[in-house]
Amino acid sequence: MVERRFVSPTLLACVVIIATSGIVYELIAATMASYVLGDSVAQFSFVIGLYLFAMGIGSYASRFIEHALLDRFVEIELALALVGGLSAPCLFLVYTAQGAFRGALYSIVVLVGTLVGIEIPLLIRLLEFRLNLKELVARVLSLDYVGALFASLLFPLVFVPKLGLQRTSMAFGILNALVAVISTFLLPITHARIWRLRASCCVVIAILAVGIASFERITTHREATYFGAPIAFAAQSPYQRIVMTQSPRTTRLFLNGNLQFSSDDEHRYHEVLVHPAVSALGREPKSVLILGGGDGLAAREVLRYPKVEQVLLIDLDQEVTRIFREVPLARTLNRDALRDARVTIMNEDAFGFLERCRDSFDLAIVDFPDPGNYAVGKLYTLTFYQRLRERVGVRGLAVIQATSPYFARKSFWTIAETVAAADFRVVPMHVHVPSFGEWGFILAGAEGLREPRTLIPSVGELRFLTNEALPALFSFPRDMERVPAIVNRLNDQQLVSTYTNEWEEWQN
Amino acid sequence: MAELTRRQLLATLGLAWLADTSLPRVRPFEGRIVGADQRLGHLLRDGVKTGPAAGPIERADVVIVGSGVSGASAAWRLAAAGVESLMLELEGFAGGTSSWGEDGVVAHPWGAHYLPVPEPTARAPLRLLEELGVITGWDAAARPILQEQHLCHAPEERLFHEGAWHMGLVPQTLLDAGERAEFERFLGKMDEFTHARGNDGRPAFAIPLSFSSRDAEYLKLDRLTMAAWLDEHRFTTPFLRWYVEYATLDDFGADLDCISAWAALHYFCSRRFETEQTKGSHFLVWPEGNGHLVRHMLARAKGVRRHRQAVLAITPGARGVVLDVLDASEPERPVLRRIEARAAILAVAGFIAKRLLADAKEVTVRASSPWLVANLHVRRPCEPNRAWDSVLFDARGLGYVDAGHQRIAPAEETVLTYFRAYGAADVRAARAALGNRRWAELAADVLLDLAPAHPELGEQTSRLDCMLWGHAMPRPEVGFLSATREPMNAPVFLANNIAWAHVDQSGIALFEEANTHGVRAAEAVLDGLGHRRGESWI
Repeated sequence: MVERRFVSPTLLACVVIIATSGIVYELIAATMASYVLGDSVAQFSFVIGLYLFAMGIGSYASRFIEHALLDRFVEIELALALVGGLSAPCLFLVYTAQGAFRGALYSIVVLVGTLVGIEIPLLIRLLEFRLNLKELVARVLSLDYVGALFASLLFPLVFVPKLGLQRTSMAFGILNALVAVISTFLLPITHARIWRLRASCCVVIAILAVGIASFERITTHREATYFGAPIAFAAQSPYQRIVMTQSPRTTRLFLNGNLQFSSDDEHRYHEVLVHPAVSALGREPKSVLILGGGDGLAAREVLRYPKVEQVLLIDLDQEVTRIFREVPLARTLNRDALRDARVTIMNEDAFGFLERCRDSFDLAIVDFPDPGNYAVGKLYTLTFYQRLRERVGVRGLAVIQATSPYFARKSFWTIAETVAAADFRVVPMHVHVPSFGEWGFILAGAEGLREPRTLIPSVGELRFLTNEALPALFSFPRDMERVPAIVNRLNDQQLVSTYTNEWEEWQN
Repeated sequence: MAELTRRQLLATLGLAWLADTSLPRVRPFEGRIVGADQRLGHLLRDGVKTGPAAGPIERADVVIVGSGVSGASAAWRLAAAGVESLMLELEGFAGGTSSWGEDGVVAHPWGAHYLPVPEPTARAPLRLLEELGVITGWDAAARPILQEQHLCHAPEERLFHEGAWHMGLVPQTLLDAGERAEFERFLGKMDEFTHARGNDGRPAFAIPLSFSSRDAEYLKLDRLTMAAWLDEHRFTTPFLRWYVEYATLDDFGADLDCISAWAALHYFCSRRFETEQTKGSHFLVWPEGNGHLVRHMLARAKGVRRHRQAVLAITPGARGVVLDVLDASEPERPVLRRIEARAAILAVAGFIAKRLLADAKEVTVRASSPWLVANLHVRRPCEPNRAWDSVLFDARGLGYVDAGHQRIAPAEETVLTYFRAYGAADVRAARAALGNRRWAELAADVLLDLAPAHPELGEQTSRLDCMLWGHAMPRPEVGFLSATREPMNAPVFLANNIAWAHVDQSGIALFEEANTHGVRAAEAVLDGLGHRRGESWI
């Protein structure tokens, strides 16, 4: 009798580990669900409910396991190590694919729940001959609950902040596999398959260890799939995630996942942004203000004019201008424009800059991201253009990137209307940029502004623009013609919803 | 002992590790209960032993008691006529319930925090906005042209409902067909009232209230509570009732079932002014809230302002008015002073005026709502679509406004101003309960109320200060008009040369009312003293 009462502390520790990892997988699934799907109350509730229900299925299913209990126990531990351990990386991998996430999430929850549900009944049966039922149930279940407490305390306090979701998930997978290994030593083994079981344990541990080691690469790979080309450079600033991709043919810049330019056709965009404005000015500008345009590509075009004396570039994001000053790949693209002695960079909000600036400029180039949210949307309002007007005076001129007159037609004409309301005379332009589609710009100047007919000769030879190509920029075919639009004001910002709706229509 | 050491050691190590790893995440924030000095205020209520006044009798031209909107407006008007005022303020700060704070990254309100573009009838507020440069000119139809930066930048409001933020206070997507139909019917009714005129030719609802029609057809609404009015018109869906109650709490600090329907309808039906500029938001918003307006008026005032001055008694004297004042500017050694003035303007609530001049029959004493205002100094990630006003459906408070909203550049640090009105009918109980709360409890309450939308707010907050307003604003309770002196646009004198200027006169705590009452009292005093004041500003 005395012998039958002995249960190794290591085995009891295994029970705690099993319980802890079970809860950890559940918490990982719930956390992922609330990250991706939002509404954390509902997600936690669904996941916990489904998980407990699946445990019930597992407990019931355990009655069908009749032979080779230890083998099965080890196999279940290994399965749990794989499914649970890889649950977070798997969910991360599918979360870009719309719709697949829910399916993957609930499948994983049911699978892990079922496996965990089989575990404890099986373990109790394995220990059945060592302890009487009263002792057995008391010890195993109490340790199970202690493990649950561990998990729910340590998960938010230690694991997520210190390891992150993915590493936590894989680390607990390894713990599960270790339990499998240990149990082959502790529990009565009577047949020869033991070495095969131990070998599979090693394989599972190896897989998860590789997973932890290559965790960074998994994320990068997912992004690479998303961006369609290998990532040459990635950074996170307080405002956005900056990703640069490079394939043999082209280099691309993405801000928060939105394509900013592609090196094989950005010349069309930037030539049209800069040179017609200079032609309309009728002289080479001495002082140029660039708002946005931290990639330095507009600055590159401006610097073609020998009489340019100073270029002031205002971009909110220090990280973007740093990259385009320092990273070699980026410097090739803008031909070191941001390192040119004539260029001064200031990292601040363009609106704030216009509020305090008292200088005037011959040419202002306004190249912001599209008005997809209210923070950027402020830079497309009447008040903004009024401030801009004060900076270019009656002799100067401004040019404004104004999204696509084809995909976001009403947005484009809203911008034109708003610029006009700021007492500018406007000349709309458009050009086809293959990676964007039709793209639009607004030339804005004083009373005498006319469509330019010829480029300033000192600009030299361009890749896209010629004198012959100029007139086409100003001719708007019927499907991009002016539509009625209202002035976009700071206290209203209709443009943001107009723009969002127009692009959503195209994406559907 | 010895056999337990190892286990104990392990346990201790484990606990220490747990504590160590969990501690850095809990960054406690600091804060305190600021403002409204109840001790000094209650001296008045409970009576104070007054010895002989120290020092010689001080003389002043016009004394203004109170530096809230009414008092500041009076001082502003007097200054324009070249008259100096001596302003006596009980608190250590100016502005009354339009006061403001300037600590932290951005100034922030401690009370009233926006002004809808005033109606043409509110002439004094319009003049003020013109002085401030908010109104830059007048169009051909004599409508104000606004400096647009002062209008609330989009997005103005958002609502947290069932786990997510939605743009606007009434997001159409949240309503089912029945609720939407009811909302449309409600808005239709409000539109009808907005353009209705009474048999006296005046608009049914107008601001200041003195301009509203006195047609019995509309005045009878004062005998109904807003809840009863909604019932009568079969407005029953919970969302609509929540929305209307949000309005009565926001403007009057009281629940639907104690507010006069006539008063509540002013919230929805008194604003007819619209130009191209105000189609988006017609709210004028500054970081320091309406403190922006008070600050300007106080800066224009001529004369002196003193704080921590408890006026104990006012008596008409041979040369005008005699005031007995407890000067607590040095709290340890309060000094009793006597001031003789030619005239006085009491810019204080009715219940205070009544205590100062017991036999003043002209004073209207109103029930007043207690409020809690908290300012949270936070640092949180830039979120491009953050609104000025964030409201949580079914929360206990009214949500919060972002004091930094009108800043142009995105910023991680800002101050959020949280408001909670105690709307139940029993204001005394609410006030007593609020007065007994300690800072830590109030701070926890604020975070708990915002937690559904911002579970992380506690960690993002570095400072959380609370202001308790025992008497934040009068309540236009059902039947309040019968207790109101008419005509509302006549100056109220409590005695010779003692004028009263306060929103209690009209019963609704709107800036336009307070400003107009202050200006009116000042003009009446100017007339009484024989000063040339030029054309009336009202």
